[in-house]
Amino acid sequence: MDVLNLLLQGVSVSIIPSNLLSCTTGVLIGTLVGVLPGIDTVSAIALLLPFSYGMDSTAALIMFAGIYYGSKFGGSTTSILINVPGEAASVVTCLDGYPMGQKGRAGAALAISAIGSFIAGTIGLIGLTLLAPPLAQAALAFGPPEYFSLALVGLILLSKLTGTSTLKSALMAVIGIMLSTIGLDSLSGISRFTFGIDELDRGFDLSILAMGLFGIGEILTAMTHVDAKPNIPSVRFRDLYPTKEEWQRSITPMFRGGIVGFLVGLLPGPAATISSFISYGLEKRYSKHPEEFGHGAIEGVAGPEAANNSAISATMIPLLSLGLPFCGATAILLSGFMIHGITPGPSLITERPELFWGLIASMYIGNVLLLVINLPLIGVFVQLLKTPLNILMPLVAVVTLTGAYSINNSMLDLIWVTFFGILGFLLQRVGFEPSPLIIGLVLGPELERGLTQGLIICNGNIWTFITRPIAATILSLGAIVILYNFFTWFTKFNNKRKELDTNRY
Amino acid sequence: MTEKMISLLFLIGSLTYLYWAQEFTFGTLGSPKSGFIPNLAGFTALLLSLLLILRQFRSKKYKNKEAVDWTKLLFILIGLVFYLLILNMAGYFVATFIFLFYLFKAADTSGWCFPLVLSFCSSAAFHLLFTYYLKVALP
Repeated sequence: MDVLNLLLQGVSVSIIPSNLLSCTTGVLIGTLVGVLPGIDTVSAIALLLPFSYGMDSTAALIMFAGIYYGSKFGGSTTSILINVPGEAASVVTCLDGYPMGQKGRAGAALAISAIGSFIAGTIGLIGLTLLAPPLAQAALAFGPPEYFSLALVGLILLSKLTGTSTLKSALMAVIGIMLSTIGLDSLSGISRFTFGIDELDRGFDLSILAMGLFGIGEILTAMTHVDAKPNIPSVRFRDLYPTKEEWQRSITPMFRGGIVGFLVGLLPGPAATISSFISYGLEKRYSKHPEEFGHGAIEGVAGPEAANNSAISATMIPLLSLGLPFCGATAILLSGFMIHGITPGPSLITERPELFWGLIASMYIGNVLLLVINLPLIGVFVQLLKTPLNILMPLVAVVTLTGAYSINNSMLDLIWVTFFGILGFLLQRVGFEPSPLIIGLVLGPELERGLTQGLIICNGNIWTFITRPIAATILSLGAIVILYNFFTWFTKFNNKRKELDTNRY
Repeated sequence: MTEKMISLLFLIGSLTYLYWAQEFTFGTLGSPKSGFIPNLAGFTALLLSLLLILRQFRSKKYKNKEAVDWTKLLFILIGLVFYLLILNMAGYFVATFIFLFYLFKAADTSGWCFPLVLSFCSSAAFHLLFTYYLKVALP
C-alpha cells in the first residue's frame, strides 16, 4: 500500500505541465532515435545533455528516461519496413517483421509490436516499482567489499553477455578501467597519467567518450557505408488493424516476452538485445507453427519486441537502487544524473523521493504516450525514414561536436571526441563492442574504491571478502561464470583434438 | 588485418600504460596506494591483448565485412581535422558553415545551391540555439 501511495505522489510530480512536456519530448525524440538508423540511444542522450542545463533536474531526467525507453519502442519500425534495425535490440524483429511487410501485413506487425511493447513495458515497470525500493534499502548495508564484488562481477558478466567475443569485451572493459584512472586519484589526491595537462585532472568525461565512440563513430559508419537505397512501403492508419488470428497468436508471446525481458534485464550487458533473441527462441519452441518462423510469424515480432521493452525497465533497477549502471545507456543516464547534481543509489529514494517516484510514474505515463502518439503518427515516421543520410549525418555531426564543446568549453574535448569517434568506427568494424569500455570507465572508480578501502578494512586479507555473505554470493556468481567459460572452452578444445585424431587415423 | 592492427595497438598501449604506472607506488595488500589498480589493470590488459593476438594469428577464419568507402572516410576525417583547426581562428559560425558545406559535398549531395543554403541556414540556427538559448560561449 505504501508503494502505491508513493507512486501516486510520483504521479502528482510527473503530471506537472513542465514534466509532462519533458516526458512527451523525451518519448518523441526516443522514437525518432529508434526509427532513424545511424543514431544510437547512448549518443542521442549524450548529445542532449547540454540542452538540459537550463532545465529543472526532475524534468531533465524524465526526458532522458523517455529517450531511453522510447528508442526501443521506435526501433522496430525500420526492421519491419526496410529490413534495417533502427536499434540493436530490433535485429531479431527483421527475421519475421520484414517478411510480414513483404506479404502486405506491415501495418499489423507495427501495431502488434507497439501494443506488445506497451504491455511488456508495463510489466517491466511494475517489477521496477516493486523491486527497486527494497533493493535500495538492502544496499544501505553494503560496504566497500560488496560494491567491489558487484562492480567486478558486473564487468565479468558484461564481458560474457555482449554477444561478441568474451576476450574482446573483457579487454574493452579493462581499457575502460585504465581510462578511469586518468586524472586526480580520489583517495590520495595524486594526479595520475595527466602529463602536466591541467584539463586531464578532472579525468575523462563519460559524455565526451560516449559522443565520440557512439556519436561520431556511428556518423562515420553511416556516411561511409556503401549500400543501395531501400524501398520504403507506405503505411496508412487503417492498415494497422491486426486480424483476430494475429491477435490470438500474439497475446501469450507478449506476456512471455515481458517476463523474459524483465529477468534478463536484471543482468549486466545489452539486456534488450539479448532478451529479444531469447524470446525469439522461446516463441519458436512453443509455437504451433514453428515452420512459419523466418517467413512472417507474428509471434516472432510480438515476443522479441515485448522482451526488449520490458528489459529497459529492469536495467533501471541497479542504476536507481545501487547507483551502478550495467549497460551503455544507463551509464550515460548516470552522467545525466551527475550533471544535475544527483547521485543515484540507495539514498536517492530517501533524500529525493519526489524525483525517484516522479521518474517512475513518468515512465508509466510515457509508456501510454508512446502507444497513443506513435500509432497514429506511424505514417510520419515512415516519411522521416526517407530523409537522406547524406543530409542528416553532417547536421548530426555538427550538433555532436558543438554539444561536446559546450560541456566544458574545451577544445581538448573536441580532439578527444574526434579521436574516440575514429576509434569507435574502427572498433565496430573489427567486432569490438564499445559498450564495455564505457561501463569500465564508469565502474572503474567504484571498483578501485571498493577494492582499496575493502583491503584496508580487512587488513590486506582478500579472503575476508568471502566471509561477508553478500559479497561472497556475488563473487560466487562471478566464479561460476568464469568456470563455465573455461569448461566450455576446454570441451571445445578437446572435441577438436579428438576430431583431428580421428581424421589422422 | 585491421583487427590485428587494433589488437597490436592495444598491446602497445597496455605496455606503455604499465610502464607509466610504475611511477606510482603500488603499496601492499594491507595498504594499497595509487599505483595498485593501474598496475593490476595494465597487467590484465597486457595479458588479454596478448591472448587476443595469439588467437587471431591461429585463426584462419575470414569474415566477410560490409563494404566501406575508404576515400570518403579520408575526406570526412580531413574535414574534421580542418574544422578543429579553424574553429578558434574563424569563429563558430564561419567554421561550421564551411565544415557543413564540405561534409554535404563529401557525402555526395547533388547541386551547389541547396548545400550552400542549407549549410548557411543550419550554421545560423545552431549558432543562435547554442549562443542565445543555451548560453554557451562558442569560439
